[in-house]
Amino acid sequence: MALVILDPTNGPIDAASGFVTAPRPADLKGLTFGIMANGLGDSETMFDALCAGLAESDGVADVVKVVKASVAVPPSPEEWDRFTASASVAVTGLGGCGSCSTRSMRDALDLEAAGIPAVCIVHSALVPAVRAMARLVGCPDYPIVTIDYPHNPTGVWTKEEARALAREIAPAVRQRLTQAS
Amino acid sequence: MTLGAAERTFETAQQALEACYEFGWTDGLPVVPATAEAVAEMLAAGGLEPGEVLGTVPTRNVTVTAEKTAINAVMAGCRAEYFPVVVAAVRAHLQTKANSHSTTATLAGAAHAVIVNGPVRHDLGIQSGQACFGPGFRANATIGRALRLVIRNVCRAVPGELDRASFSWPLRYSFCFGENEEASDWVPLHVQLGYQLDDSVVTVQSVMRLIQVTEFDAEPEKILDAIWEHARHAGLLRDEWAGDGRSVVVVIGTEHQLRLLHDGWTKERIANYLWPRMTADTVGKYDNKLHLAAPANIMIVAAGGPGIAQSWLLVPHLAIPTHELVRSPSGAA
Repeated sequence: MALVILDPTNGPIDAASGFVTAPRPADLKGLTFGIMANGLGDSETMFDALCAGLAESDGVADVVKVVKASVAVPPSPEEWDRFTASASVAVTGLGGCGSCSTRSMRDALDLEAAGIPAVCIVHSALVPAVRAMARLVGCPDYPIVTIDYPHNPTGVWTKEEARALAREIAPAVRQRLTQAS
Repeated sequence: MTLGAAERTFETAQQALEACYEFGWTDGLPVVPATAEAVAEMLAAGGLEPGEVLGTVPTRNVTVTAEKTAINAVMAGCRAEYFPVVVAAVRAHLQTKANSHSTTATLAGAAHAVIVNGPVRHDLGIQSGQACFGPGFRANATIGRALRLVIRNVCRAVPGELDRASFSWPLRYSFCFGENEEASDWVPLHVQLGYQLDDSVVTVQSVMRLIQVTEFDAEPEKILDAIWEHARHAGLLRDEWAGDGRSVVVVIGTEHQLRLLHDGWTKERIANYLWPRMTADTVGKYDNKLHLAAPANIMIVAAGGPGIAQSWLLVPHLAIPTHELVRSPSGAA
């Protein structure tokens, strides 16, 4: 006699489709640069230095920053409203641990859905994690910017290391957030 | 009762089991085939409609229904009468401040302790005494496993996808035990949380660290000193989002409890003794303050069996302990 069993899952992780990213500006000049940070390790130093560098090199005019109250939670509604009211483009991260990387990727995807070009900064160790999150919303190839070894995945860096990382990733961030992508 | 889950048909139970492995539906151990009849029986035992929503994981677009929970409870090996406890555990885990996404995606591999209070422990045979943390008790093993299978199969915490644990650990197969309320006149945990003595309640605590404290000294203060000294080796950072609810669970073993009871120590007195010592400022490399808002954030639970003079600390991940009433099929407590 045949045995019929029931599927215990919510379906495959990549069942969604049709995700549309936000339109990119030609460049960053005069824009308000958003930082959606999770406070992991010394990543805030990196984000601040990244923003300062892009202000100097690309003419970014202003910055809006949210540091979330825990590494792997959404921004509060008030933080979200304040951020989306002024950010023209945004970076999220640091994607340096399991829950914070996936949540930061979700932050970037949510910003895209709200019409704000975004990019998540992810350590290479966590790329499979954020790819899973991108597949979940139907955007498996969503571009990211990666940091690699020998830098520690969880953002345990010196201040100088964090500032050097900002300089290293700036070209890729510019590319992902503008029509250069 | 109409169920909505997709069906798969097999010639034999062995083929069905192998397919569960192939589809990635198990924790690595064999599962019970979830037939529609078994799932319907589970739902009836809980008094729930298939589509009733038990909670969500917004970051993952996940909604957890009673039906999916029942399927996983069957697969875990639960008897139907366990289902109200499983439902309470799932609801507790999916409360916002239990932080499902963070506690199940973390590199650190947090586990989830399901602590059961009230008469349901006796009704279902949930062990609170000797060997209660380990194997050998169907209710403990399968209720804890059912929560974990829901986390895996419904909440998408699959290793390689959204479970990112660097090592993970055995507690992620199952971790459920009762409080040994009958061992003393200590106020049971659920009564401390505001429930009635004859209520049955599930408390879920994320577990980042499980710390054994063995102390053979008979003097209560020496026992408690060992507990806070072990706790301070791990420490507990402040998390603004979790806020003042973040707590440690201290499971007091039988031998320690006997010594404490002998000298008249209550749970309240124990927590009041431990709190200033756990929360004092950090003084050294291997000494770390625990950020606990009040003595009530030290949750004392009696459990375990006689023999070794031992207690255990359940130190949380980025979450607070959450609790839910176990409801009968009629909806009453």
